[in-house]
Parts: sequence; structure tokens; C-alpha cells
Amino acid sequence: MSEEIHLKIEGLTLAFGNLLALHNVTLELKKGEILGVIGPNGAGKTCLLNCINGFYKPQSGRILYKDKDLLKIPAHTISQLGISRTFQNVELYTGLSSLDNLLAARHILIRYGLLSAIFHFGKSSREEAKHRRKVEDIIKLLEIEDIRHHIVGSLPYGLRKRVELGRALVQEPEILLLDEPMAGMNVEEKEDMARFIIDINELKGTSVMLIEHDMGVVMDITNRISVLDFGNKIAEGTPQEIKENQAVINAYLGKA
Amino acid sequence: MEIEKERQNLDTIPKLLRRRAIEYGHSQVAMRKKDYGIWNEYTWQDVYEHVKNIAYGLLSLGFEKDDKITIIGDNDPEWFWAEWAAQSLGGVTVGVYIDCIPPEVKYYVDHSDSTFVFARDQEQVDKILEIYDQLPKLKKVIYWDPRGLWFYDQTQIMDINRLEDLGRDYAKDHPDLFEDLLLQGRGEDIAVFCYTSGTTGLPKASMLSHRNLLYAVNALGQYNQFLPMENYLSYISPAWLTEQILGLCGGVLIPLIIHFPEKPETVQVDIRDIAPHIIFYGARLWESLASTIQVKITDSTPLKVFFYNLALKVSYKRLLAKERVEGMGLLMGLLHSLVDFVVFRPLRDRIGFTKNKVGYTAGAAISPDMMRLFHAIGINIKNLYGTTEASLISLHKDNDVRYETIGIPFEGCEVRISEEGEILVKNEGVFTGYYKNAEATAKVLKDGYYHTGDAGLFDKGHLVYLDRMEEMIGLSDGRKFSPQYTEIRLRFSPYIKDAMVFGGEDKPFVSAILNIDYDNVGKWAERRKMTYTTYMDLSQKKEVRELLKGTVENVNWVLPEYAQIKAFVSLHKEFDADEAELTRTRKLKRKPIEERYKDILTGIYGKRESIKVESQVAYRDGRVGMVRTEVIVNYLN
Repeated sequence: MSEEIHLKIEGLTLAFGNLLALHNVTLELKKGEILGVIGPNGAGKTCLLNCINGFYKPQSGRILYKDKDLLKIPAHTISQLGISRTFQNVELYTGLSSLDNLLAARHILIRYGLLSAIFHFGKSSREEAKHRRKVEDIIKLLEIEDIRHHIVGSLPYGLRKRVELGRALVQEPEILLLDEPMAGMNVEEKEDMARFIIDINELKGTSVMLIEHDMGVVMDITNRISVLDFGNKIAEGTPQEIKENQAVINAYLGKA
Repeated sequence: MEIEKERQNLDTIPKLLRRRAIEYGHSQVAMRKKDYGIWNEYTWQDVYEHVKNIAYGLLSLGFEKDDKITIIGDNDPEWFWAEWAAQSLGGVTVGVYIDCIPPEVKYYVDHSDSTFVFARDQEQVDKILEIYDQLPKLKKVIYWDPRGLWFYDQTQIMDINRLEDLGRDYAKDHPDLFEDLLLQGRGEDIAVFCYTSGTTGLPKASMLSHRNLLYAVNALGQYNQFLPMENYLSYISPAWLTEQILGLCGGVLIPLIIHFPEKPETVQVDIRDIAPHIIFYGARLWESLASTIQVKITDSTPLKVFFYNLALKVSYKRLLAKERVEGMGLLMGLLHSLVDFVVFRPLRDRIGFTKNKVGYTAGAAISPDMMRLFHAIGINIKNLYGTTEASLISLHKDNDVRYETIGIPFEGCEVRISEEGEILVKNEGVFTGYYKNAEATAKVLKDGYYHTGDAGLFDKGHLVYLDRMEEMIGLSDGRKFSPQYTEIRLRFSPYIKDAMVFGGEDKPFVSAILNIDYDNVGKWAERRKMTYTTYMDLSQKKEVRELLKGTVENVNWVLPEYAQIKAFVSLHKEFDADEAELTRTRKLKRKPIEERYKDILTGIYGKRESIKVESQVAYRDGRVGMVRTEVIVNYLN
């Protein structure tokens, strides 16, 4: 982890009509860190991610990444810049196998043309082999070898979540946005998932922004935590600092 | 024979490995490991190089002759290389199951005096690090799957690639040392320690030499012709002696192409890629395979189910004809070939058995019905009998598979049944002794015979396993028999749900109380248009008693005269866990049952025709009533 800033969010404000989802939120993701974003339901956590990858257009503010303002870039090009995400509700092609889901996600990295693809020789077949190899790397990392050829629709929930994480990873992101990757999982599945997130972060140096409700997990695996409440950032710091922060305790437990 | 000639010169596994590398070099594949979804190949030369590098690496870290290494992990090429490397240097390997907890691992490493541990991955390395301080003899922990270990900074642990690098450097200054050491090895050198599971007391390390292992592979070869470069799937743990024999020794002696699945979980897919010629599964795996087949068939279309059942009928008929050693007619033969081609060949393909020549099972008895099912679908499954101390003892021969036996002892394996009924073995596979436990060794090795502790008997040349000796019960004439053995055989019948067999010093002969299987016997009765009212009524029907008599006679047929059931009663009710006759896992509670039915037993041994019984019954609404009835005693000649 370095002090270098990987992604900088400045004065982000997002409103739906009169409802203020995010209010002047300023946040930094440092290179190589795992940043936890926590907050009660409706605090604006998912909205924040949706702004970063261009689903929502906030009214004001800037999101700076690689000297560019992401808000001025079309959504579909953001993933090509190296930002991938997973969704709170699994969004996969349920009729395809795990392998095909992962391969499909690499479309942004395909460099061969239509003609070459039709005849499938030379560049296109070489490139396909390279893509498959990258995908297999991720399959191995996430230990989903045994479900490689299983149709995603037939998989249990915990495994689908894992495939979805894989789908984000095969795009070789520099920044990974995870929206409740452990929701609805049992303890063992959570432990596995936590281990994968740490492995990815350590091995590939990927910066991770993690939204999660399980406080045990967040406290264990993050380097820093930002707390949102009703669209405002109310605290930020190391897990230990957050645990002792009065504003956070109030937001979560209500004022005494 | 050529194998015989080779055996004299090549008396250790590393010597054989060296020979294979010279013989085949890079022209033959020795191992395949699935990784990244692709089968990666290692030629004999590749394998030999890895073994050499690891051996040199170990030498550079201070490995000496007779040092021990412990290996804990899944079946991987690296396990094999590390083991062969240690053996090349005159060392010994100790295999440990991956699910052992740290205190158990500590016992194995400590007791075996291991100086190096090869641990597969982070999970296993963590276990060793947890107990590292309690293991003063340990010099280094080497791992071969670096996942999650990238940032460990402990100096006690090392990546296997790093070890090989050290080895390559060390080899520069000692170019001939490895081969010199390798060629110094002798057949009687200890190759492995296999720990006995040890139901009582601490596990004991059975010391097995290269000669012991080579004997076992050659023994298997007597009953199954292995061809060089046949496919073998390495799946059961090398911590078990059987994999030491088949994979680690047979792999280089025969030699076989050893395949390693990607992960234990992917084996069902991987096995289809490989189509192994030889498969060894534990009994439980065969059972789960059988139930998978049955479930998948039931789930398929009615047409498929119809043809499957039809094909099974034809196949069973053929098996029956074979068992009775009679011809089955040209038409039937043709029909069988047809159903085998249309139904069973695709089924075998599904489960990866297209090229399979033989499937071994050992460890526990699997029911004759299940063995018959496998034979019917064209899988040559055989019982293999052996012990950790005496390696392989007996096996079924092709076309002489009797489901209730454990086969015929190998040539060169002398098997005796002692006065007490214990199986005694003398062969080249019998171990050298237990490590650091001469006392225990002396108890089981007497006059060159290994005392297995298993009770058995011979039946027309076949060896029959009864039970562990300590489970045997003494009869009035001083001989021993196994009630459980007889009960298991009785329960193999679809008409018998439970059985308890009685015998002992106070009883003049062996008798049994049987529970009919209400569903199956009920259906059987309906097909015969018999009328019956209740369980109590059905159980005492003359026809039903005759049916049971036939079953008991069949079981008696495999028992020695003194252990045969001379009389039985078909009980008027089922044994019930609610009435404390069974445990919740449906095991018999022997004492309470004997106490409860002492009137019946008195009747049986008093040679009465029938016995009046009363029993308390609890109705569903909680009322308790008395039922009076009469059970008939059935005597057999």
C-alpha cells in the first residue's frame, strides 16, 4: 500500500428529485489499499459505486482517475480504463457456463477483427488462447475449477457470487468495486470470499473499494473505512478508529 | 520373465526411475497433471530431473541417509518427486492425510524423526508453523502451492522451486553424487513408513522396504496383466499403503502413466478425460458411484429408464449363467452384446470407465448386490485384501469373482488360518517391523508369520474375511465365530431388514432372530396372491418362513459348519430404537435385545416348536397395550 492516490472523489452530490442521495462526498482510494465503505441502509453506498462506474450522473463534483474526470467519460469506456465491479444482486448470463461468462467479460480486451474471428486462425485463435489462459488464472485463483463447465443458472448462490467476482477480475482491473460480495453467504463462504479479496489485493496490487454489512469482515480485511450516513460522509479512518468513533456509533445504534 | 530379471538388478524404486529415464527420456510421458483446465505432461526425463534437483536441494540443506521426510498434501506430481528424491538418498517417506489436525501432524513428524516436511499449501504450512517450535529435529518446511504464502517471511519455509534452484547450484559442485547415492540403495532399505490407523493407542509406524512394495506390484500383476503406459488415476491418498503400491511403485515398475486430477472435487470430470485402465477406490467411493448412477438414471427420460432396466435384466441373466458356469445360448449372448453396446458402453463412457480393465475395492465390504450391479454394467470390480503390515494378500481372479469373499491369496503369499481362526501371512511384503516399537512388532511377527488380527477362513480356495479377532465370540466347543459377519450377510438380502445372531459358550449352537423387511416381503407376498393383515401375521406365514429359510441356507453356505445358523425365529415385530433395541443409527443393542427376548432364546435352545410371546406396544395416541402371539421356531438341518 502506498500513499499514492488511485481514485479521488471530490464534492460529489447526487440527487433524485428532492432526495439527496449523496451530499458533497469527498473520498480518496489509495493505491493498493482495501477501503471499506459502510453505513446504514440507504446511506448512499451503492449510489457512490454507481457514480464511479458511470451508471448515475451526479449533479456536481469530480471523480479523478488517471488525470481524467470519470464523469465526463461514457460509462462503457470506464471498465476499459481499469475499473471493474460486482453487483449486489448477481448479474450474470444465467444460461452460459461459468467459463463462458468469464470469457465474455474479456470482450473489452479483444483486439482481433470480425473477419479474423470468422475464420478463426492466426491472430484470433492465438488471442483466444491467451484469453482462455487469463480466465483459467482467475478460475484457479477463485477455486472454481470444478464448476468451470456448469451452467451458472444451476449454481448455488455463493458460487454465483464467486463467478461474478471472477467476471470482474478477468478484466484485469486496477480498481475493484465490490458491492456486498458476502451478502447472503454462510460463514464458510464468507471466509473463502474474504480470503480471495485479500489474495487479489496482495497478489495483483488491486485497489479495492468494498461495501459490506458484515462488520466483522470489514474490520478484519480493510485498511481504512469510510462511513456514510444519509448521503454524508461522517467518518473515516482505520478500523480501530472507526470502532471508537462516536458519530459512527450514533449512526448505527441511534443516539442515546 | 523380463520383470523378474529387472527386479534383480533394479531392486529399489529410484533405480527403476533412473532406468525409465534412460529408457524413455523425453519420448514417453510419465505423468499428466490437469492445471488451468489443460493436461500438462511430464516425460520420464522431466520427472527424473525434478527428482534429482529436489534431492540435491535436500542435500544442500543437510539431508543425510536414513533421514525421514513427512509429506502432507493432495496427490500431486510434487508429492511423488519429493518422495522419490528422499528415497534416492536412502531416506524414508511418511505420508500424512490432509485432514489431520496439528497435534496429529505433530505426532507423525515427531515420532518419525522427520527432518523435512513437504506441505502442499498455505493450509498445511500454517499447521506446521503452529507446531514448529515443538519439533526441534525439523530443518525446513517446503511447499509446492505458493498461493497465499507470497508474503510469509518465515525463514523455516521454502518454495519447492527455490529448493530445486538450490539443488541445481549444489549439483554443479557435486555432479555425480546423486547417482552414486541412488545406486547405493538396496531392496531391503526402508522406503516408507505407513502409520496404522490405530483404533487402540497411538498409531504405529509400519516400516516397508522397497522389496515389500515391489512384491505387492508383482503380486497384483499375477491376476491382472498390466501393460506399460496404461492410464492410472492417482486419487486415493499416498498416505495409504495402497497408493504407495499402485501409484508410487507400480507407476515406475510397470510403468504406468500417472494422472493427477486438477482438484479432488473435479475428479468426476477428469476421470472422463483420462479413461483410466486401472482404478482403485475405497468402498465408500464405489457406493457413491453406484448411487450416482442410479439417481441419474431415475432422473432421465422414461424411455431411457426402460432400456436401462431391460439391459440390466439381460446382463443379470448372463451373470447368473456365469456364476453357475453354464452356457447361456447364442441368442442370449448376442442380446447381451447388443445391450452392452447400446446401453452400458455409453454409461461407462459417462463415468470414465471406457478403457477400464479392473477396479479395486478394499477397506470395507461392499454388498454383493452392488458388486453385481457393477459387473452387470461391465465394470470388473474386485475385492483386494491387504494390511499395512503385510501389504497385499489376496485378490479376486478374473472370471472368478465371488462377491462374499476377498479372493485368492497371491502366489508366493502363504496364508494360514491359526487354531484360533486368525489369518496368518508370510510373504515378501511383510514389513520389517514397527518403528521404535520392538515390543509391538514381536507381538505380531512370530516365526516369520504376520498375525493380521483378522479372523478368516478358506472356502473352496477363496479367503473369507469374518471380523477383527477381538470382535469374535467363543462358542461352546471353544471355536470362535463372528455374529456381525453373519448379520451383515443376512442383511444383504432384500427380505431381511435386521438380524441378530446368537451364540456363545453357554449356547449349544448358533441361532438368529430376524426382522423381515415389511415392504419387500409384503410385495413378494402380493405377487404370490397371499393375504396377510399385519407385520405380525406376515412374519409367521409359512411361505415367508420358507423364504427366510432359503436366505439363511444361502448364508450358511459360506460359513464353516460350527458357525452355521441352526435355528431362527422371524420376530413378530421390528427392532425399534424407541424401545431401546437399536441405537439411533440403527445399530443393534445386543445386551438389551438378548435380555428382552430371553424367552425366545430359551425356547430355541429348548428345541420347542413355537413360543408364546407377549410384548408391550405403544400406540400412537400414547396408550400402551399388550399383544399376545406365538412365534414359530424354524430349525435347519
